[in-house]
Amino acid sequence: MDFLSKAARKSPWLYRINAGSCNGCDVELATTACIPRYDVERLGCQYCGSPKHADIVLITGPLTARVKDKVLRVYDEIPDPKVTVAIGVCPISGGVFRESYAIEGPIDRYLPVDVNVPGCPPRPQAIIEGIAKAIEIWAKRA
Amino acid sequence: MTTETLWTLATVLVFPGGLFALVLGLALKGVERRAIARLQRRIGPPLVQPFYDLLKLMRKRTLIPDTANAFVFLAVPVAGLASMAVAAGMIPIAGFFEPSPLLGNLVVLFYLISIPAVSLMLAGSASGSPYGAIGFSREMAIVLAYEGPILLSLVSVALYAGALTGQPVLLNLTEIVRYQQQHGAFLFDPWMWPALLTYLCFIPANLGIAPFDIPEAESEILEGPLVEYSGPPLGLMKMMSVTKAVVVLGLGIALFFPNGPAGLAGLLVFIIKCLVLVLAVSLLKAAVGRMRIDQAVLFYLKWPELLGFAGLALAIARF
Amino acid sequence: MAFLKILLDNLRKGPATEAFPFGEATTPDAYRGKVTFDETSCVGCNMCEHVCAGGAIRFSEKEDGLHFLIWHNTCISCGLCAHYCPTKAIKLSNNWHLSHLQEEKYEQVDHAVVPYRECTSCGKRLQPGGPMLHQLAFKGANPRSERLMNMCPDCRRKVSYIGEAV
Repeated sequence: MDFLSKAARKSPWLYRINAGSCNGCDVELATTACIPRYDVERLGCQYCGSPKHADIVLITGPLTARVKDKVLRVYDEIPDPKVTVAIGVCPISGGVFRESYAIEGPIDRYLPVDVNVPGCPPRPQAIIEGIAKAIEIWAKRA
Repeated sequence: MTTETLWTLATVLVFPGGLFALVLGLALKGVERRAIARLQRRIGPPLVQPFYDLLKLMRKRTLIPDTANAFVFLAVPVAGLASMAVAAGMIPIAGFFEPSPLLGNLVVLFYLISIPAVSLMLAGSASGSPYGAIGFSREMAIVLAYEGPILLSLVSVALYAGALTGQPVLLNLTEIVRYQQQHGAFLFDPWMWPALLTYLCFIPANLGIAPFDIPEAESEILEGPLVEYSGPPLGLMKMMSVTKAVVVLGLGIALFFPNGPAGLAGLLVFIIKCLVLVLAVSLLKAAVGRMRIDQAVLFYLKWPELLGFAGLALAIARF
Repeated sequence: MAFLKILLDNLRKGPATEAFPFGEATTPDAYRGKVTFDETSCVGCNMCEHVCAGGAIRFSEKEDGLHFLIWHNTCISCGLCAHYCPTKAIKLSNNWHLSHLQEEKYEQVDHAVVPYRECTSCGKRLQPGGPMLHQLAFKGANPRSERLMNMCPDCRRKVSYIGEAV
């Protein structure tokens, strides 16, 4: 079992959930994944299309009222063990949308968040730093 | 149980089927990912990354959707992997390994190679997800398109080898390999080039490599038939696809360029040939984008089909 | 076939990946990152609180002085506070190492007290006005203005009109 968790540490697959984000953070996430300069694949990460393949879930956006149920449903689709990372100030505190009537967030009201990466948007290096912290937690859980 | 049965079982489970094919396939997958990363100016994952991924999947929970048919959903990966293990046991490695005659001939191998596609289709439709259903229909379309050319290619080789050895048709892979070892590979015989090209066209479609990775497009239909899989069943699916890569590349090598020295060096030469093919495939994967399903189907119904018929005509003309 | 040339060029040039997270990352000097606050030059005008888009800055008046509070988890690094700050007491550094664990979420706060001072003449409590403001207003040292700066408005008016007698 120990051997398996050591291998699991090297293979955290990433999944993105957009909880009503303005797409700024999503662009930075795409940058982190697709641009050779910030290659996350060397950490063993891989962006996967289906939530059922994911290990580390990256959530962007302030959890708008309209998208809340869908986000919670997609989140439940992700098999355990999993690690949650909030990307950008919106899921952490609401950011500029804080206390708006259209916002259900901050996201830790509904989901167990593990790592926060503030910024509007955070730069790709900051996201990688957050993912590195998430991998530490993932190594303990897997 | 006779010794022969036991030996056949060993070839299917350990070498060159099952375990060996799995390890080789995972290693080739690692090389492919690394090569693509280098072609894109990235560092890329470590070479053993596919092993980590597989072991990781064994630790995850298995989720079965309410809408799925649980039995088919879970049985399909096992069936696909088993068929590929048997198929890998049927691939001769020149100078090193000759498959057991109990397993069957080229016709059986042809049917075994189409089982992973069928299991992907079943997986997509049994998962009860709309994305799975789209993946199912796309897989079906592309299988219909490439099954014709591959059949023509295999038949051309069988007829041609038969004509050369004075039989109507030669379906025994071991003998095809033996003939080429004695008289030179089909790779250097212009009469076989159309069949060879057809086979090369078939490789990317069967292995789900760009531009023909349409059924498992992760950015459009969330990996299609695999969308609802998680944990160990997903791991089995991944094992199936990497073993399939070894089978398809190994069959190509056996049909067209099996030559190699005797003994362990023969195995080494086989692995090097696989590596060269995988590097070529990763060049293709890095260079092109994904086609639409109708474009891919039309492509396969046009050029590989024509090439296949040309190959068949040449093989018959050789009589 | 142009793409093949590009691919082979890529292969020849080698990876363009940054060393981070295994090494140092490059950061431009002008990068807008974590907000820093210098309580010695703050004049307590509350302009930064007024313009803050994310509502990250809070000022509160207490016994010992003006309490400044910023929660970095809702700061969007827009730089409006730095732009409107008359004395440049609030600035954006290029520090972007802000990611943290959930347990530390509410510890991502910087707190500073801008102390009140007493009028040198009557001892009344005085809004702060640091040397930075003095520098900005009078463009250099001036003993008279320096003396007036440390007085409350009433005493300052008296001194200005009636003269040094008071």
